[in-house]
Order: sequence, then C-alpha cells, then structure tokens
Amino acid sequence: MSTPEVAASTLLRQPQPTEEDTARSHDRSRVHHARRQRRRWHLMWLLVGPGILAMLGENDGPSMIAYASDGAQYGLGFFVPFIPILFAMAYVCQEMCMRVGAVTHRGYGELVLQRYGRVWGWFGAGDLTLTNLVTLIAEFVAIRVGLAYFHLGSVVAVVLGLALVVFTLSGGRYWRWERIVLGLAAFNGLFLLAAILVKPHVGSIAGSFDFTPFPGGGFNTLLLLLASTIGATVTPWMIFFQQSASADKGMTPADVAHGRYDTALGAVLAAIFGIGALVAGAALLPHHGSAIQGFAGAGFPQALKHVAGGAAGTVFALGLIEAGAVAILTISASTAYAAGECIGASHSFNSSPRGAAVFYAANIGVALLAAVVILIPGAPLLSIALNANVLATVLLPVSLVLMVMLANDKGLMGPWANKRSTNVIGIAVIAFVALCGAAYGIDSFLQTIQVIG
Amino acid sequence: MSAEGPGIPECDLQTQERAEDALIMHLERDQFVAETSRPVPRAPLSARVSTGLWALRVFVVLVSLMVIYTFVAQLR
Repeated sequence: MSTPEVAASTLLRQPQPTEEDTARSHDRSRVHHARRQRRRWHLMWLLVGPGILAMLGENDGPSMIAYASDGAQYGLGFFVPFIPILFAMAYVCQEMCMRVGAVTHRGYGELVLQRYGRVWGWFGAGDLTLTNLVTLIAEFVAIRVGLAYFHLGSVVAVVLGLALVVFTLSGGRYWRWERIVLGLAAFNGLFLLAAILVKPHVGSIAGSFDFTPFPGGGFNTLLLLLASTIGATVTPWMIFFQQSASADKGMTPADVAHGRYDTALGAVLAAIFGIGALVAGAALLPHHGSAIQGFAGAGFPQALKHVAGGAAGTVFALGLIEAGAVAILTISASTAYAAGECIGASHSFNSSPRGAAVFYAANIGVALLAAVVILIPGAPLLSIALNANVLATVLLPVSLVLMVMLANDKGLMGPWANKRSTNVIGIAVIAFVALCGAAYGIDSFLQTIQVIG
Repeated sequence: MSAEGPGIPECDLQTQERAEDALIMHLERDQFVAETSRPVPRAPLSARVSTGLWALRVFVVLVSLMVIYTFVAQLR
C-alpha cells in the first residue's frame, strides 16, 4: 500500500491514531503531494536527513582532530584515498540500516531484541551505551578545544552542549529536530574552508591518490591509525541512529531510492570535509606538526593561526565546535532510540515528553552524564577521547553482523532483502573492521604486558 | 478537547474530522504506533549461527578488555 487512494480503502480498518501518528502523517502528506506532483527536488528535500546526519554526525570532534593529526604527522599520502574508501564502506552499512528502517518501520534495537532474543538486544544496547558515553565525553572535549581558542572554558562547553540538546528536543516533532541538526551539520563544511585557507598545493592532493607515501612508524602505530580512522567513519551509534531515524521520519519502501541518495550524499560530503581537516592539518607538517598529537590537538587552531593566519585558526576552531555539537545531538538521539526500543517504551521525536518520558530522559541524561565527566578535575579526558574511536571499532563487528542478518531476513524484508553482491561487500567490510580492531587490541595488549617489544 | 466546546458548529467539527482522516491516510497501516508496538515474531537461529554469534561476542569482549587494559596501563 503506497498511495492515499489505496489507504482510503482500508481506512475503516486503520488503528486509532496517536499524537505520534498524526505528527508523522503531516510529514508523509507533504511527501505524497511532492511525489504526486512530480516535484523531484522538493521530494528530495523532504526525504533527505537520516543519511546526511549519520555521516556528518560521524565527522565529529575526535574524528576531525584525528584527520588533522594524521595530516600533521604523516602528510596527505595514504589518507586522501583511504578516507573515501572508508566512507564507501560506511555507505554499504548505512544503506542497509536505512532500508531495514524504511521497510520494517522499526529501529535496530527493537528488531534485534524481538527477532533474535533479549540477550543479543541487550548486548547491542550495552555496547552502544558504553561507546556513546565515551564518544560524548570526547565531543564535549572537542567543543572545549574549539572554545579555548576564543578563551572560553569547560563550563561554557557544557552549557552550550546541553542547551542545544534541550532546545532541539523542545518542538515535539521529528521534522523540526532533523532540520535544526541538518542546519548545524552544514557547518561541517568549515573544515573545507579551513583547507582552502591554508592554501594547499593542489598537485600534492591529487598526487596522494596513489596511496603514497605510506605512513611510517611501527606496526602498532599503523594499526592504531587504521583502527582509529575506521572508528572515525563507521560506529555502532550510526547503525542504531539511521535505522531508527528512518522509521521515525516515516520512510517507506517507496522512499528507499531517495534514502540511498541521502546516504550517498552524506558519505560524499563527510569524505570531502574529512579530507578538508586532513589538508588543514597537513599545513603543519613542515612546522613540526607531529608535536601536536591527538587531543593535545587543543593546539591545532592556535598552530594553524601561526602557520596560515588567524582566519584558518578561527574557522578550524568553529568547525570543532560544530562537529562536537552535531555529534552530541545525533549520538544522544541514538542512545534515546535504543533505550526506548529495548525497554519497549515510546521512542519518537514525534511524541511529547509526557508520552515518551524514557526517550527524552535518555536523550538528555546521557548528554548530562558526559558533561559531568568533563567537569571532573583531573579526569583523563585526552586519553578517553583518543580511545573512543578505537573502542567503537572493536565493538562494531557484532552490530554489523546482526545488521546484515536483519537485512537478509526475508520474513521482515521480503523483496527488499539484501542481494548477494551487498552481502559479499558487507561481509568484507565486517572482516576488515574486525581484523583491524582485533589486531590493534591484541598487539597493544601484548606490548603492554611486554610479551612483544 | 476544545472541539467539543459549545461554540463550535457541527459542520466545522465534521470538516475537522474529515481533515484528520485524510491526513492519517498518508500513513501505511504498518506505520501506526499500534502496529509497530506489536513485536515481530522471533526468528529461530540455527545452532551454527548461534555458535558463530557467541564466538564473535566472546572474541569482541576479550579484545575490548585488552583495549581497556592497555588504556588503563597507559594512564599509569
């Protein structure tokens, strides 16, 4: 059933609509009108959202600092072609999430819990909560790093982050939340502007597409680079978020094609802006940029100011604030979706706070918890932030395997189930992610206990 | 509800109800909260798939513990 006419014939059998149904049907009516009037661009505008937000949300504070740090330490070679490959991998995973959400109208957490049992559902929610909490702390740190450039401290970062979460939740509509966050996410393009401001040599960017020079350093350093860069592009929260947001938006199988455009556009933009951060960081390579590592990247905007001028430093600092803010909103939302789905409570931006208390409480609560951690004096924030992406990479394979299982489930997906080619690529992605995460984890552990040098 | 107030004419109420019905028609039946609240049936996992999932789970937990141990050791 895909048209209002067909729906009308079954009106008498329709269930009693809730406030959530009414809000969602408002959005769907606009989609139907745009489709009926063949207004392609308007239809595209109405249906984009979850894919772009998942991809640009993952271009978060730690990820952009990781890209800039890669550029400052190793230059452009290897990473310029590697980042688009990783986002192509992310597209494969996220397209499955969007498709399952649009076809089943249910989130990842609830489907895993109901289809494969409570154990797997709660394991997934546990992984998500752990990685989300760690990542949210890193997002507040990123905002703090950006604000430090303007001589503002932790308290401002906390107030700004929490105020944004509360403000975006205040409308009681998915559409409103999505459009505000999309508007903020557009400022991820500041990293591209920062790259332009450092006046890079275009030939060197083009030349780095042959994967050279390969980053030097030890085997463990290379594994850390791989694990943290993968963790900067594909993470458990993206899986939960895009599937749940696609369902919350009211997407249907008729919208899958547009969902693919949305996801692909998000992947392309995220790859371009990620490379922007890399190029901006690479401007520091001839100026001992390797000294500015990881979240000591507090010095990145300042260093860029000295090397490429005040405008580059300011734009990079503003970009970090944006990256952290958007990620706080999307990651908190994914936690809230998972909490509502696993507990079996209402979980939609289209519900009021009274109707979906767990959803709203989890959304604000997880952000509040992360905010409290960054206010603790002496907390190892830099180490937590550095390890956020690695932990996400290590925990990702289980979520991905269950995602592929859902996307292959003919009982749920019918004709929309995965094709063989999608499965081959999906399994290759899972194997690559699992191998990189495990290799780094095991190698680091053996070095730590001094079994290997 | 204000719609039940004494000052609203009957024809306005009917128009409002028709508009709400027309709006709700834009949702597919299985999109309604009443439908999505109904759990999907459990899928039987074969012994092979179940074993594979548990093996992956144990593996992931072990590697996570290694990463966390390394993280804590580096803090010292």
